[in-house]
Amino acid sequence: MYLCRMKIAKRNWLFRLGIVVIAALLMELISFIQYSQTRKIMEEEMNIRSRVVLGAMADRIDHVMELTEATMRENLLYLRRSLDQPDSASRALVYLIDDNPHVVGGSLAFIPAYYPSKGRLFEPYATKENGRIVLRQIAGDKHDYTRTDFYIDALSSGKADWSDPYSYTDGQTRNLISYSCPVTDASGRIVAVCSLDMDLSWMGDTLNASQRFPSSFGLLLTKDFRLVAGPSPDKISPALVEQALGLLRSGMEKSADGDVFLRTLSLRRDAYWQIAQVYKSDEVYAHIRQIRSRQVILLLLGLAVLFFMIDRFARSERKLRSASEEQARISGELAVARDIQRKMLPTDFPEGVFGRLEPALEVGGDIYDFYIRDGKLFFCIGDVSGKGVPAAMVMAVTHSLFRMVSRKEESPSHILAALNGQLCNSRESNMFVTCFVGCLDLYTGKLRFANAGHDKPFVLSAGVSLLPAKANLPLGVFPQTAFVEQALELSPGDTLFLYTDGLTEAKNLSRKALGRDRVQACLAAGLSSGANSAPQLVQAMAQTVRAFVGEAPQSDDMALLAIRYLPGDLLREHIVLTNQKSEVSRLSDFVKAFFERLSLDRKQASGLRLALEETVVNVINYAYPAGEAGDVAVYADSNHREVRFTVVDSGFPFDPTAVLSADTTLDAKNRPIGGLGIYLTRKLVDSVSYCRKNNQNVLTLTKSIS
Amino acid sequence: MTTRIEEIDGKLVATLIGELDTAAAPETEKALQPLLDSKGKDIVIDCTELEYIASSGLRLLLGILKQAQEVGSRVVLKNVNDVVKDVLDLTGFVALFDIE
Repeated sequence: MYLCRMKIAKRNWLFRLGIVVIAALLMELISFIQYSQTRKIMEEEMNIRSRVVLGAMADRIDHVMELTEATMRENLLYLRRSLDQPDSASRALVYLIDDNPHVVGGSLAFIPAYYPSKGRLFEPYATKENGRIVLRQIAGDKHDYTRTDFYIDALSSGKADWSDPYSYTDGQTRNLISYSCPVTDASGRIVAVCSLDMDLSWMGDTLNASQRFPSSFGLLLTKDFRLVAGPSPDKISPALVEQALGLLRSGMEKSADGDVFLRTLSLRRDAYWQIAQVYKSDEVYAHIRQIRSRQVILLLLGLAVLFFMIDRFARSERKLRSASEEQARISGELAVARDIQRKMLPTDFPEGVFGRLEPALEVGGDIYDFYIRDGKLFFCIGDVSGKGVPAAMVMAVTHSLFRMVSRKEESPSHILAALNGQLCNSRESNMFVTCFVGCLDLYTGKLRFANAGHDKPFVLSAGVSLLPAKANLPLGVFPQTAFVEQALELSPGDTLFLYTDGLTEAKNLSRKALGRDRVQACLAAGLSSGANSAPQLVQAMAQTVRAFVGEAPQSDDMALLAIRYLPGDLLREHIVLTNQKSEVSRLSDFVKAFFERLSLDRKQASGLRLALEETVVNVINYAYPAGEAGDVAVYADSNHREVRFTVVDSGFPFDPTAVLSADTTLDAKNRPIGGLGIYLTRKLVDSVSYCRKNNQNVLTLTKSIS
Repeated sequence: MTTRIEEIDGKLVATLIGELDTAAAPETEKALQPLLDSKGKDIVIDCTELEYIASSGLRLLLGILKQAQEVGSRVVLKNVNDVVKDVLDLTGFVALFDIE
């Protein structure tokens, strides 16, 4: 069992873990897809941004280069006019250089021997040094400019053009490019080439002035990917720059590991130049990486919560299930209890009797009961304080005590006293019982009753009134309670209506009780309309309650019992005999006449006569002391369904029903001569009962007849 | 209640006519006294006209039976009607007497 539970617990645990893992995988998948999508969107965004950035950079470089070209154009005329003297030409050069802040230096390379005074080669060169312009003549044997590309190209093409980038060392090494323009004299002959040098470092600075990410940078390149300008080495490691150049040269936009990627743009004005913007992925996507890692943490936290919740849910569900199983078991048992309780009460109603029990819960503490013995209807109605199972148990005890006690006792007050004694002995949980007990002689209409704190019943005769029953204490309160017994003669057709306080105290939704007046009104209506049979009265009352309470839940148990005295066609005779055997002849004549009036057949008549004779003879023989005269009264009653003989004497208390039966199996020798009388009586009737009442022995014989 | 005793074919034949109730028992007991001295003769009690019997009557019959059994006589109850038969049945007397 324990092992089995362990297994189940393990299985449950694995099942829960499985759910969590699947949930984790699903969420991770969603998160991954989201990340990829976001990254894709960001890449597109980066492309756009790169184009914008590159475009802006290109515009700036173009602009600076155009400015240099414009400077050249604007000063060319002035330069041409200053050609007549070497000094004026040099001044024009200085002026030209001073005119453009991006130009760091410039030269005028004259065709050989243009100024005879200056020799074959003459090239004044002006540079900006510490804010001043220094002019030098740099041509000489070491520097024959007529063999340099810019000079040869300018002379041969006759057009201005930019040079490739180059390094020039003059104290310090600089990366430069030059814009060279042929200068013509008045006759249109090219007489010199004017070059303006631009330091390329400003381009790199411009490109890298406002980079968004710490490791991203811009590059200016020639068309064949030679680096013209880049970031300063203290900002970006030369290795990274080299890696970017490597990628550019191999025509890739992204490194194999995806760590570095770049975008390029050719300058609009001159396809010779291109610029590149280089990024490191980890920086660009750092933000969404951070989002994703946070997402993963949140996801893990969420899963932990989910696991916890599933666990709690499973626990509470298990608890709930076991609670509901318990509930089902209890309600199943309660249904059985309800069934048992219903079956305890008589549901086979003789004419004139009808009862109804409505517990507020499955079982209740209300009780009604009745049965007929010796032509008398014994009945009771009771209400155990409280409701539910405890009340039902006390009710069951009360019910069986009533049955047990009333078998031997026909006085309602004695019955109540006996019940009270028992209930006081076994009283638990301070429960008490209100109870009304009655005994109605069906032949005489004489009702004897006693009340133990129960609601007074109604009597329906000419009108409806309360039975003036003295209240007394309820059962189970005080062991020595004396219950007053009262009597009332019912006329044929009179009805006794008994109920428990569940009726009068039935409450509607506005907490108003039905009350005794409404009960009385309902009974009066039944009486006046003629719908006053026992079942009709009970059903009408049940309907009245239902209509009154409406939707309100039943708050208390309710029992209803109606008893209508319907004696039918009665035959009643009696005779008083003296205690002499000769009187048996008179008894014989009396019963024969009685049976004749009942048209009883010979066999039934003989049996009943024998039973009665044996009983009476017993009284004649033994009730009174020898020689003392005494009376024996015999009452014969019948309603054509049953015959009842009541034999009353005032002799010694003697209960013949307590005498042992004769042994009818003995042989003649061992048979006692007497002892057969009581045996025969018992055999010949349905019931024999004895009671001592008013100092008299009362023996009742009943037998149903056909 | 009428009682008659005859001797027929060496048997004592008692004929009971009427109702043998408690009131009739003492006089019947007297009338049947001869049966208590049967001298070994078998006894036949003719119940053809016996309409009713109470326990006092049964006591008489039992007394006769006990006496007869002591001297080795048989006691036969003859032509018992259904009402009387019921009483014999109830009391176990059917097993004691020969019933014809």
